[in-house]
Amino acid sequence: MFEATELPLPPAPASKRRRRRRGSDESFPESLRVEPLVQGDASLGKLDDHVRNLSEAKPPRSWYVALAITSLVGLIGVTAVGYMVYEGIGTMGNNVPVVWGFLIINFVFWVGIGHAGTLISVILYLFRQRWRNAISRTAEAVTVFAFVCAMMFPAVHVGRPWLPHWLFAYPNERRLWVNFRSPLIWDVCAVVTYFSVSVLFWYLGLIPDFASLRSRVKSKVKRAVFGFMSLGWVGNARQWLHYEKAYLLLAGLTTTLALSVHSIVSMDFASSMVPGWHMTIFPPYFVVGAAFSGFAGVVLVFAFVRTAMKLENYITMRHMDLLNRTVLFLSCVMTYAYLMEGFTAWFSSDSFNRYIFANYVFGDQWWAGSLTIFFNCVLPQLLWFPKFRRSVPVMVLVSAGVTLGMWLERYTIIVLSLHRDYLPSSWGTYLPTPIDFAILLGSVGIFLTLLLLFLRKMPIIATWEVKADIVHYQTHPSGPMEAEHA
Amino acid sequence: MLEPLFGVLALFPSADALLKAIPQVKERGFTRLEAYTPYPVHGIDEALDLPKSKLGILVFILASLGAICAFLFEWWTSTVSYPLLTAGKAYNGWQAWVPVMLEGTILVGTFTAALGMLFVFNRLPFFGNPMLRSKAVDEITRDKFALVIRPGDGGLDTSAAIAALRAAGGQAIEVVPAPHYRRAGLAWWAKVTAGIGAACLVAGYGTAWAIRTFPTTKPMVEMENQPRLDAQAPDTFFASGRGMQLPPVGTVPRAFMPVLATNPDQGGKALVDPLPVTARVLERGRQQFDIHCAVCHDKLGTGKPWLDSTYEAQPTDLQSSTIRDASDGYLYWVISKGFASMPAYAADISPNDRWAIIRYVRALERSQDAPARDVK
Repeated sequence: MFEATELPLPPAPASKRRRRRRGSDESFPESLRVEPLVQGDASLGKLDDHVRNLSEAKPPRSWYVALAITSLVGLIGVTAVGYMVYEGIGTMGNNVPVVWGFLIINFVFWVGIGHAGTLISVILYLFRQRWRNAISRTAEAVTVFAFVCAMMFPAVHVGRPWLPHWLFAYPNERRLWVNFRSPLIWDVCAVVTYFSVSVLFWYLGLIPDFASLRSRVKSKVKRAVFGFMSLGWVGNARQWLHYEKAYLLLAGLTTTLALSVHSIVSMDFASSMVPGWHMTIFPPYFVVGAAFSGFAGVVLVFAFVRTAMKLENYITMRHMDLLNRTVLFLSCVMTYAYLMEGFTAWFSSDSFNRYIFANYVFGDQWWAGSLTIFFNCVLPQLLWFPKFRRSVPVMVLVSAGVTLGMWLERYTIIVLSLHRDYLPSSWGTYLPTPIDFAILLGSVGIFLTLLLLFLRKMPIIATWEVKADIVHYQTHPSGPMEAEHA
Repeated sequence: MLEPLFGVLALFPSADALLKAIPQVKERGFTRLEAYTPYPVHGIDEALDLPKSKLGILVFILASLGAICAFLFEWWTSTVSYPLLTAGKAYNGWQAWVPVMLEGTILVGTFTAALGMLFVFNRLPFFGNPMLRSKAVDEITRDKFALVIRPGDGGLDTSAAIAALRAAGGQAIEVVPAPHYRRAGLAWWAKVTAGIGAACLVAGYGTAWAIRTFPTTKPMVEMENQPRLDAQAPDTFFASGRGMQLPPVGTVPRAFMPVLATNPDQGGKALVDPLPVTARVLERGRQQFDIHCAVCHDKLGTGKPWLDSTYEAQPTDLQSSTIRDASDGYLYWVISKGFASMPAYAADISPNDRWAIIRYVRALERSQDAPARDVK
């Protein structure tokens, strides 16, 4: 990736070895040097100690306060779900024709956020982007926790959450099977596969880190737990050989999965005959949207985590810069997708299709479509400026805007399409109730609770990957050949 | 006398130092070498002549099997076990099965890659690994790089190994003893069996207690018990006092054309069999006849009921000349409207099925009185 050179570069550490290697060559033009991804006087041991301290030291008071608030909010959400299930679906804003309300909006929203981890840790791994190493672990955690939230919603939405096994194909006394021609069963398979593979991938990356924590944590319980979780890993070169192969295979397979999951989610919409849904652009458009909201979510998390947990040396401003560039790029692709959607509607010459798109922006709920465009297309344009890409307030503003904008996009697609279908006699309107909002907030609370617990109880940086980076930057102080392996 | 040992270990401060030391140690004739590193060091597999991982082959085979199994499962459920017609598509339209096949492939592929790497290729979990008891293991998982000389077939000359490692720049040299494996004794097995047994007992009695204590407790019934009117229930809202309202006068159900003729002779003239002459129609007629008619008229239509003598009515002998000479339309009218003690079947048998039954009755008549030319 090309790098801007507008920033003052930190002095490159003197290379001890005089061997001529690309990247470490001191005659390399100054203008092409890049900022190292590891800063300060980093060493393998220091990184180890830092990550161990984070998972072992007593958390600060603010952590407990935050945890109390988020778990309370999560509890309110769970209570709202319980009340809704007891009392009936009428407590929510769902109606005919808007049969998919907040629950499905939230489902698609969280599935989208959940694309962050895989894209960062898997696709960037295949592209040999070194800057993924320091952020991949937390991004994967974001994925897993977002999917915990996401999977809650369809389970509640089916109406009888005590019969969730009916979603799956299993032998039963009624000799019924699921309908494999329905996108809804594809969706179940895709989401369940994605969640299990995300957890697997996350755990696989954690094994060497558990091994490194195993013998150094002081608490006996933690030592036993980490020791068990590390499966007796000792870092034999032969083990690493198979390990890296497995990591590569998982990365390749999971890339296909990540691209397919939101495509399949979009088919829930695209294969129905609702104006505004029945479009071939939906699968790629949903995948980009998912990546977009996922990256924004990760920026939001790291904007707070990197300073709160003193990770500035490992998650540098350059990491944030690169993440923000990705957000900007995806914003441009989203803008293109919106334009193409509008064009398709206009080009179809179908008055309903044309009407529905005009209705998104100028209709009775014009704010949903207009704010979607503002947050997803206009606001991220700030990131063209290098200064803003490295400014924490601006990146928080933009990524919070994108997160909100992507939620509103799903609101627009689901509510505004359903309430004006092909039969004007069945047009209706939709108003969410306090229960709807309580469930949405509750899912945010559950997500943040899990994230806070992760940040203080688990190794939040893939140390075995960043260790290779530290050695890389010590031997090749600066140069454009980052993608090359040490 | 050489004591049983796992190997001789030395630590190196960096990956480069380790990579330089490997050929030096090799030169001294030690061939069974193992390296331990805190992160995957590239180039070490060549230095140690490690064979390439064969994990990819395993993943390819099992992922392909995953795809095939997903396909076969979808084919079997959709076309054999539970054929469900959706939007007029063919039962075996495989295109719709692709997404689930893809997910199946990836699910099996990823789990094979991860679990195959851990369990098959790396033989993990391995908590008895002698390296875990070495002093160096904490350094290896942190920032040091270890080289271990393992004993060959003829054992290992410990002092020569130590010298070789020291010459190559190794520090903190340590002799790692071989693991002391103890076979699990009878007491251990007894403990494990007792533990599993106790867990099963607790789970079993717990479940039994729960089922007895809360026999019909259903959670969250409010949403299930919604106020609604069942079809047969009485109701005070409508003047008729019924839950389900009667259809307006003159309503005709789909595919049930009413028979307008008022007597069988009139019907015999007006009604004509619309069905084609095919084996399928006869087969359908046989099935419907056996369901609705055979119980009184007998399987051959002889009119000898299967019911016992307390059933006093005398069903018509369908083999009699009266019936043989009657027209098809006459029989159709009788089935539809009923005759003497025979009830009307218009509500139970669809018009086409009535015609199919008549066709089958004709076949029965022919079968009991076949001309010689029918028999070859």
